[in-house]
Amino acid sequence: MSNLLKKDWFGLGLVIILGSILISFFKPAFISPFNLYVLMLSVSLMLVVAMSQMIIIAIGQMNLSVGAIGGLVAISFTGLMEVYSMSILPAMLIGLLIGLTCGFINGYITVKTGISAFIITLATLYIFKGMNLGITEAQPFYEIPDAVKFFGNAKILGPIPYLVIIPIIITILMWILMNRTSLGRYMLAYGNNVQSSELIGISSTKIVIYAHVISGLLAAIGGMLVVCRLQLGTPNIGDSWLLPSFAAPVIGGAILAGGKVDVIATAFGVILVSIISQALVIFKIDPFFVQIFLGFMILLAVFINRYREYREERRTKVFSYE
Amino acid sequence: MNFKIPNFVKTNQFGLLCLVIIFICIFSFSTDGFTSRFNIYALSRVVALDIMIGLAMMVVILTGGLNLSLGALGVSAAMFGGWCMESMGIPISISIILVLAFGSFLGWINGFVTVRTGVHSFIVTLATMSIYFGFMTLLTEAEAFRKLPEIFTDFGSLKLFNKYISPLLIISVLTCFILYYVFKYTDIGRKLIAAGANPDAAELSGISVDRMFIYCHMLSGFLAALAGIMLTARIGAAIPSMAGHLGFDWLLPAFLAPVLGGTLLSGGKVTVFGTMLGAILVTLINNGLYLIDVGEFWVRFFLGMILLGAVLLDRAREYLTVKNSIVS
Repeated sequence: MSNLLKKDWFGLGLVIILGSILISFFKPAFISPFNLYVLMLSVSLMLVVAMSQMIIIAIGQMNLSVGAIGGLVAISFTGLMEVYSMSILPAMLIGLLIGLTCGFINGYITVKTGISAFIITLATLYIFKGMNLGITEAQPFYEIPDAVKFFGNAKILGPIPYLVIIPIIITILMWILMNRTSLGRYMLAYGNNVQSSELIGISSTKIVIYAHVISGLLAAIGGMLVVCRLQLGTPNIGDSWLLPSFAAPVIGGAILAGGKVDVIATAFGVILVSIISQALVIFKIDPFFVQIFLGFMILLAVFINRYREYREERRTKVFSYE
Repeated sequence: MNFKIPNFVKTNQFGLLCLVIIFICIFSFSTDGFTSRFNIYALSRVVALDIMIGLAMMVVILTGGLNLSLGALGVSAAMFGGWCMESMGIPISISIILVLAFGSFLGWINGFVTVRTGVHSFIVTLATMSIYFGFMTLLTEAEAFRKLPEIFTDFGSLKLFNKYISPLLIISVLTCFILYYVFKYTDIGRKLIAAGANPDAAELSGISVDRMFIYCHMLSGFLAALAGIMLTARIGAAIPSMAGHLGFDWLLPAFLAPVLGGTLLSGGKVTVFGTMLGAILVTLINNGLYLIDVGEFWVRFFLGMILLGAVLLDRAREYLTVKNSIVS
């Protein structure tokens, strides 16, 4: 039990359950099937985006271009289907390939030049977004095959949408990657301390490029899922991903310096953010408050993490004196 | 042959100066109207703002941090100024002082939270960016202030020096000189740099690093607020969306100018005039891209490529100078 209490996701899970009960007590509409459906949709989209950022946070870097990659893939995916009348599967594969390439570019330049990923991904953010706008001239693509529309809006059972399948699979795969594979452990080791990870024979080049490629792939999947949901490919897909992509991992206890991320806690972070955004809508609070709230949530999470670290430090100190 | 390259030539600023001159030559030969009085005046108005934004980012980069909230902060301060002048009828000079104080206060929040939590300023300013912008939109209800005092808006469209230069540019250049003096010759300026370069060593030599970092964030807020006022004067109104959603439009020039100018992202080094040259280069390229007609939508792409090229070049230069110094 005491082990359970120490987990990052445990406290978050508790907050989510208590919060949901409290909200549905005041506003029963919160647990109406339609609301749960909308909630699950927003959770599944943000889950992929948050995972895309989380893996970069794990290696102690940041990826500002997540939204730009998502947007570029989204318009390529729809553009290929509309303009070149490609079928869904090849368009999807090309979309994934674009995401992979974008991620590879980010990772390769970052690791080969040693320049901070922040600056590199800021530059590629503008490059990918510029390509997006250059190709589309800010016009959306509307011609989406029915199968894609169906996937984005149909329900499996009750309020559960088809759209949750892929994000859940991704979350499970990410958990396996970070907790059960040597690649994931190497990433955390690299994020924790670059020098010592190199000394024990971990290749920086490999780790950084792998992390960025996975991030690019996830951003690509996120972009395509948004297309399924919206039923059109607009150039501004991905513009608003930056804040939530950092919010969820940070609320989940990730340390931005790298070396510590928790997949389950990140997923809970996404759920918490979605529930709060939803609750603010249900209580008819100004939508701009959602943004302010998200900002405060990040600061609060940061303070809590800091406090826990501080307590941990004090405890170990007392222990060492004994 | 034995001849020595003067030190100045090796610096980043010299390379930048050459680039600026090359670009001016290219654009004035390849396009009509680049050297026209109208275009130069328009350039001077834009460059003034880019310099100020670049400086505001530079002073935070000095601490090894970043300020993502720059745009949101600047717009919030500008809207506050609009409210002071239009709704409250406070005289212009007092309004401006209030705005600058307000900007410094918002910067203080950034600095205080960063120092107290020990979290990287990236995540702190990411949060405050959305908080400032959210509150600003909420309080103004996304309405612009368009009836500002005429003296104030006239100042923004004033033309000096045979109608070539905007007075806004003079403010920016003056700020550059003041900052240069502060960082080079004053006690506090040296302390700020020392704290950024090596916090542990600075702490040991009796400098309160936390306080210095907070000062840097306050200075950043101050300069961002100044940029906000200048933009308001230039447009002639205070508009919530004047720096884009969440103030993101300011972010690229804010990073481009100091990075091109040779400011180290790890902190501890400032180049005030480098930042100025960087801002001039960015504005030139931006303006030139429009004039040679690459298409409005591709401008972002090229700016991104230029940022990438600039950091790679800088890396190469660093590498070469290190190699040279080892050889000699």
